[in-house]
Amino acid sequence: MKKWLSITLGIVTATGGFLDAGTIATSGESGARFGLGLIWACLIATVAIILLVEMMGRFSAISKKTYAEAIRENFGFKFYLLPLLSEVIAESILLAAEIGGIAIALSLMTGISWRILFPPAAFLVFAMAWRAPFDWIENAPALLGLVTLSFIVGIIALGGPSHQLLSTLWKPEVKQGELADYLYLVAATLGATISPYLLYFYSSGAREEHWTSNSLLLNRVTAIVGMSFGSLGSIALIFLGAMVLQPLNMQGSSLGELGLSMAKALGPFGALLFAVALFATCLGAALEVVLGVSYNIAQGFGWEWGEDKKPVEAARFNLVLIIFLLVAVAIGLMGIDPLQLALAGSTVIALFLPISLFPFLVLMNDPQYLRDKTNGRFSNIAIICILLIAFVVAFVSIPLEILSGGG
Amino acid sequence: MPITDDQIFSIRDIIDSQLETREKRRIGRVSDIEAIWQEDGTLVLSSLVIGPQALAGRIASPIRSIVRFVLRDRFDHRIPLDDVEDFGPTLRLRGSAADYPVGQSDAWIANHILRWIPGSGH
Repeated sequence: MKKWLSITLGIVTATGGFLDAGTIATSGESGARFGLGLIWACLIATVAIILLVEMMGRFSAISKKTYAEAIRENFGFKFYLLPLLSEVIAESILLAAEIGGIAIALSLMTGISWRILFPPAAFLVFAMAWRAPFDWIENAPALLGLVTLSFIVGIIALGGPSHQLLSTLWKPEVKQGELADYLYLVAATLGATISPYLLYFYSSGAREEHWTSNSLLLNRVTAIVGMSFGSLGSIALIFLGAMVLQPLNMQGSSLGELGLSMAKALGPFGALLFAVALFATCLGAALEVVLGVSYNIAQGFGWEWGEDKKPVEAARFNLVLIIFLLVAVAIGLMGIDPLQLALAGSTVIALFLPISLFPFLVLMNDPQYLRDKTNGRFSNIAIICILLIAFVVAFVSIPLEILSGGG
Repeated sequence: MPITDDQIFSIRDIIDSQLETREKRRIGRVSDIEAIWQEDGTLVLSSLVIGPQALAGRIASPIRSIVRFVLRDRFDHRIPLDDVEDFGPTLRLRGSAADYPVGQSDAWIANHILRWIPGSGH
């Protein structure tokens, strides 16, 4: 019984962990601009994150090591700096976007400007990361995040997609001069879903919850069902954007605009549901990002870490957490729209994916860590292909996007 | 501690390893090692080095000189090899965190910074 309870909880958590400001931004804007023409990117990203999350849980359950610990021990300090730096750069942008997402959600509920609500939103993240025990952080935002499933209700309420729209699933309509934007969104979709912070967080979570080789079933079910559920929410948002915003010629270029699609479908209550979903997913993701980076640094340098300890018992870990939050607040206070920040952060993540995940593939094939549970050939090849696609698309689209001056 | 024949360690096993104190507190990782030439011509590992200068040296020697110029050896600490009770993926030390300068940094941060923030548990 307890086992099934923890499996259910795991699924809920994974659902919450999948969606964040990045996925909401990319999905909404994809739908508004290219109909269903980016769902393929969302699907391959989902396959990748299912494979990666399953591997990460298996790795930490069997080796009793987190990802950051293993990188430092196996590849040495000099190498460890590469994934560390890429992580810190990309995730500080993303954390600013997540906090901005919380602020926008609160602004949709109260009517107060999101810029004013940004500092309280940051404080909320700090307060939870500072003192809430690990299972709160995992489960509270995730439970609330199930509201995202109301996006599917929204699609049904709108009467479902038209035939013409469905054909963009396999025939994306990319108008002349929009190729750069299309590729940029492909990269952002991949980067938003395949987020390394989730892996650092998940592997540390497996250690915080003392997973062993008995946890492998829990791990597999969590990865497959949870990530698929999460993906459903993000695909539903693409549909909503395509069905509501595209006919109105709206670009879906702010998070508030994306809420309009739910308002059209379900009235004011729909708008409220969107705001709650945005709030919950961004809060959950902000916590995972700030903890993911703090875990990474503390484990890489061998410091005491853990959310269930009092802050003074893991002082350096908690100091990193505070500093990282302050950096994100500084980025956020520059006033850039959170949706644009989320897109930029996700694209940068896509660019860095080979650096953050190549060491992982090496570790996953090392019997010293995994004994007889090393990776099969299929997962290795699948992950390498997806990482390369993400890298190439990001590498091509970032200069194009900067040249065209868009976002 | 005496090392038997079947416990042959390479430098890679020691460098970057987790350092844990008697009371199982994680205090840091081995940044570098120091060895001394014995009179009989053998090279013997003498101490573990932990600190930013040693780490900078791992990236490139010129960076070490720059970091040294700035920090002036203040944050690099040595732990004699005799203090290691147990070798393995984690190096277990004989002393407690308070016995090692590197182990005191958590306490310093807790006492000087975190204590001012409500709920720190100080």
